[in-house]
Amino acid sequence: MNDDLEKMTEIVRDLFDEYDGPVSRELCARDVGQWDSLMNVQFIVLIEQAFGVRFSTREVGQFKDLGELLDAVKTKRVAN
Amino acid sequence: MPTFFPWRPAMTADWPQRMAMLDGLVRTLSENSAASEYDAVALEARRLASHALGAQQALKLQNLARRMLVHSKSFTTLRYLRIGLTGNRTLSYLMAPLRAAGLVRGLLIDAFEVPYDVVRAMAFGQPNIWERKPIDAMAIILDEGAFREADGLLSEQGDAAAFGGAKSLLDRLARAVREEMGSRAVVATIPACGSNISSSELALGGSIQRLLMRLNEVIVDGARGHEWLMWDLAALANRVGTDGWFDPVRFHEAKVPFRIELGALVADHLCRTLAAMSGKSCRALVLDLDDTLWGGSIGDDGISGIRLGENSPEGEAYLAFQRFILSLRQRGVVLAVSSKNMDAIAREPFRNHPEMLLREEHIAVFQANWEDKATNLYAIAEALNLGLESLAFVDDNAAERERVRQELPLVSVPEIGADPAFYPARIADSGIFDHLPLTDADRGRAESYRSRAASLELKAKIGDYDEYLRSLKMTMSVSRFDPVDRARIAQLINKSNQFNLTTRRYSESQVRLFEESANEFLCWQIRFEDIFGKYGIIGVLIVRKLERIWVIDTWLMSCRVLTRGIEETLTNLLMAEAREAGVETIVGEYLPTQRNALVAGLYPRLGFDPSEGEIVGQRYSACPASHSPLKSFIEIQRL
Repeated sequence: MNDDLEKMTEIVRDLFDEYDGPVSRELCARDVGQWDSLMNVQFIVLIEQAFGVRFSTREVGQFKDLGELLDAVKTKRVAN
Repeated sequence: MPTFFPWRPAMTADWPQRMAMLDGLVRTLSENSAASEYDAVALEARRLASHALGAQQALKLQNLARRMLVHSKSFTTLRYLRIGLTGNRTLSYLMAPLRAAGLVRGLLIDAFEVPYDVVRAMAFGQPNIWERKPIDAMAIILDEGAFREADGLLSEQGDAAAFGGAKSLLDRLARAVREEMGSRAVVATIPACGSNISSSELALGGSIQRLLMRLNEVIVDGARGHEWLMWDLAALANRVGTDGWFDPVRFHEAKVPFRIELGALVADHLCRTLAAMSGKSCRALVLDLDDTLWGGSIGDDGISGIRLGENSPEGEAYLAFQRFILSLRQRGVVLAVSSKNMDAIAREPFRNHPEMLLREEHIAVFQANWEDKATNLYAIAEALNLGLESLAFVDDNAAERERVRQELPLVSVPEIGADPAFYPARIADSGIFDHLPLTDADRGRAESYRSRAASLELKAKIGDYDEYLRSLKMTMSVSRFDPVDRARIAQLINKSNQFNLTTRRYSESQVRLFEESANEFLCWQIRFEDIFGKYGIIGVLIVRKLERIWVIDTWLMSCRVLTRGIEETLTNLLMAEAREAGVETIVGEYLPTQRNALVAGLYPRLGFDPSEGEIVGQRYSACPASHSPLKSFIEIQRL
């Protein structure tokens, strides 16, 4: 699980490279200047690629923060 | 995840480190930084950008490109381009990849989205409301959504109306870009990604598929008429496959016209056109010969032994590749040769092979020698009066490619794969020779070099060759002959012509006799590997052991691994072995043939002195006790 957070943190750092605050499960779009709705789509795609999961049309856009996204990734992987 | 860029080399192990360093360096750039510093950054950025990158490395590159843009005026070796993108879908995702993709082709791209509404408003008569700085080109990317009024017109009248409306929209948009914004329009062809209800959809009056097909023709005609440049996005979508191209989830989520993951590929594809527009495409192609233009080695296999022509699938593949090369030449690409070979031998197929399509008159410069290829490429660029950036180099040998990339990062060096059947596609897909519609001057350019297959005198070697050799991490293993390898050893003995000191041929049963006479003969087989892989048995040495004198009866090596210092390393090893055995003299002979001039000077180079002897060729000798070890970067394994 921590590994997952680490992996996600790396992606956050590269995608939102001007953000240098802390990254935790509570991080959400509001905290990060560069994180707008367009970047969010890119973020989800990178997560899908990195974790080998795929979210449905209904799921995308429903994640409140990194924690929820992490949990969804975990559930997806078990389901696979 | 398969790479989208098979023509690019895989990322090297030190890539992350180098990128981190470069990024750090770019962050410290200021007005006070030296011009040389900017040039070095541009070169390193180009080098790092030219690999097949994963998603996250691509992000790092995009961030780097964005930071470089801040200093756009100072990067004088990069061509600065302001590129607008406009279309009826979300194109923001293309901005960052476009900046990154430019670096590969020497472009520093300032990309931004021009709101579609703005362009459309201008197209329909509003005065220029775009007040920003002029742009070098505006890419127009539309899909069926731009022609909404066409919906539901499934009839012949509907067909004419939809086509007329769409064509006029396209014309107006392009004209607005050209006349109102003072820029060049680059119009993307439209991929047809939908699933068809009927298989005669294209014949169905008023259908979207039919509309797109006819619009693409309009786009092509506009390009032919020099009204705009075309960008064949539809062809790229076809190469990717439409299922992989379009993602309905993402489309409904963010109205992206193609999968976001394809950003780098799409951006690279647009950069082909932008590079062609800016004169940054390659103008000359430097070709290796053996296993690049034909199968096998002309030096070892001879003109009847090389695989070329309609008698085998492999021969046909090489022929197809030559046809591809001639097509490049017709488009103005100047051809040159750089081959590690004897000049006369290398020219033989061009002169005498009945199925060879490439002839000497097609080749502007013909470099067949044993010098480093980077040095040769440099000389070729000078002779053709072209910058290194205009050169592409095609060679089947990974080590040669890597050497050129290290030494001359401006030269384009595509990965062509191991099978000649794929060479043309790899080179075409790399886009290095992309061009605008041809002019008469383009067509005549290759001819104007008065191709005469001239060979050039080489000046000083360039680069640090030792450093390169060290980077190859070479290992050589030496073992005695054994039954398992007997057939391969006999094959080498009977086939090797160029690096072969005595050209004595022995059958497999004779090889067996050597193998079993360990007291009278030292028999070594040499294997070799480097960072690019294992080469198998590449050398054979047979030494006759007399009481105090050893005589080298046979010494041959494969031409695939020349100029790596293997002969020096082997000499060191043999001298050590002889010293241990108390041998006073080692004798080597060179028996000249039509094909082995390559090794005429080998023994003197290795520290042997000429000596008397009653043989036809030249005789040399060396004293193991006083022989000083030769420089070597090869690790040795004795088995």
